[in-house]
Amino acid sequence: MPHWQIALVIMIGYLVIALLIGVLAGRGKDSSSLDEFAVAGGKLGLVVMWFLMGGAVFSAFSFLGAPGWAYEKGAPAFYIIIYTAFAILPWYIIGPKIGKIGQKHKLYTVSAFLKQRYQSKVLAMIVGLIALLASIQYLATQLTGMAHIFNIMTEGRIPFWLGGLLAYGIVVIYVATGGLRAAAWSDVFQGLLMIVISWVVGLAIVNQLHDSVGGMFTNIVTETPEFLQVGAEGSNMGKVSFTTTILVSVIGFLMWPHLFSKSYASDAKTIKKTVLVYPVFALFLIPLLLVGFAAKGVVDPGMLDSPDTVLPFLITTVMNLPGWVYGLVGAGALAAAMSSADAITHSASLETTDGIVRNIWGDLSDKTVLLIMRVGVFIIGGLAYFITIFGGQGLVALLLGAYGAIVQFAPGVYSALFWRRATATGVVAGLVVGTALNFYFQLVVVTTPFEIHAGILGLAANIVITIVVSLLTKKQVNAEVEDYIRAS
Amino acid sequence: MSKRKFTAIYCITVTIPFLMLIFPLSEIGNRATPLVFGLPFSFFWAILWILITFTALLFIYQIDPANREEGDQ
Repeated sequence: MPHWQIALVIMIGYLVIALLIGVLAGRGKDSSSLDEFAVAGGKLGLVVMWFLMGGAVFSAFSFLGAPGWAYEKGAPAFYIIIYTAFAILPWYIIGPKIGKIGQKHKLYTVSAFLKQRYQSKVLAMIVGLIALLASIQYLATQLTGMAHIFNIMTEGRIPFWLGGLLAYGIVVIYVATGGLRAAAWSDVFQGLLMIVISWVVGLAIVNQLHDSVGGMFTNIVTETPEFLQVGAEGSNMGKVSFTTTILVSVIGFLMWPHLFSKSYASDAKTIKKTVLVYPVFALFLIPLLLVGFAAKGVVDPGMLDSPDTVLPFLITTVMNLPGWVYGLVGAGALAAAMSSADAITHSASLETTDGIVRNIWGDLSDKTVLLIMRVGVFIIGGLAYFITIFGGQGLVALLLGAYGAIVQFAPGVYSALFWRRATATGVVAGLVVGTALNFYFQLVVVTTPFEIHAGILGLAANIVITIVVSLLTKKQVNAEVEDYIRAS
Repeated sequence: MSKRKFTAIYCITVTIPFLMLIFPLSEIGNRATPLVFGLPFSFFWAILWILITFTALLFIYQIDPANREEGDQ
């Protein structure tokens, strides 16, 4: 059997298992419960929670993008492990707080969280809309990853549209049927698979191409030492750009609706323990970076469509590995993409329902809301699919573009938790200006002053405006203001 | 220890290692050599501070007053 057929069989086998686990996880639970669908009844345990949060980091971006960055840019790729380790840390303080507030007011989303505190439908709708757009962008990166993997590992026999449809179709099915619990249990399986595969295959690649890790870096140090320094002469990412990219990722991370809402899905102890063991996830990414460095000087950049394809390219073309390795790496990359896509699709549907639909059509019964959320999974899934097939851009650029907009939620969220004086007008004004600035610097003009990340420029304006406008408007006196501050 | 004090300790403990990894302070570790455990110094620097943070968190969790209140979460 030729390599690509073995790979195809393994990847299809993986997809079948992922589908089974996803669908079975939701069985035996109350399928008519909104609470179960949205936050798994608030009862997820430590291991599941850890993989659910970790799955978000271990995405197509890390599996394909991390080697791509290390190969193309060198030292700036360390940004990936740095932000993975640190972005979770504020959750120790704010997670339990948000969880308490959520239980008291029956919340499932970021938009409902902000609406309740600021008593503003407009704010909820803006947040719902940004969350939807950013989620679709993020989903597009995961979908591109899945489609690429199928395409490369089968040596071009599975076309782009079909690979994306197969993998993402399965995600949509188990998320729509099993809700958060299905996503969570799939993430456990997918997380374990990714970790094992990235270590085994990653180290095998390094050892085969360079004898040892030390030998590999000794070569790079002799030939191009600046490749291992951020912002050195000849390096292609500056220090300001590096630092602000980390900052935007660290601040924005927990503002992502699918991560923010996990505060509602567990108790304070589980949240804190998840934070404690989370930095280990950053270390799991190390072999993926090593793969990128291993390709440096071995793979000619002209032979790649984009740096993100360096890992699959090494396996299929350079190293001539057996077919089952194709299949394993394919399955690992699919797992990475799918474990992010499920949580994002789920939360995008929740945010759209809570933020937009509920505020336009007013009072809806829980049953109707649940139905809308399930249908929403299919609609958002379809949208993301079509945008991916007809769109295009580097994986990393897309992800950072979406990140820039999400980080603008931070002033509203942190003010809700810690600052009584913040008002709806202030937060809305800050959010609108911050988001607009971010998009202006990201899409209209290509360069930013001092290479500062567009999201950070937007955030700076956002914070100033939130504070100034809040102080200029009348203090809010609703009971929720105190509730939010005092919750702990 | 009060909750407020614990929050302050927590924030300081996690901010210090973070500052070591972004500019300007990360300049200290931003160099290719010497190789440590086969890794360039800049790579080792990042991993080192992640490990330090991980260890510090394990200690911090022990002194968190919220974790001592029995039956209350």
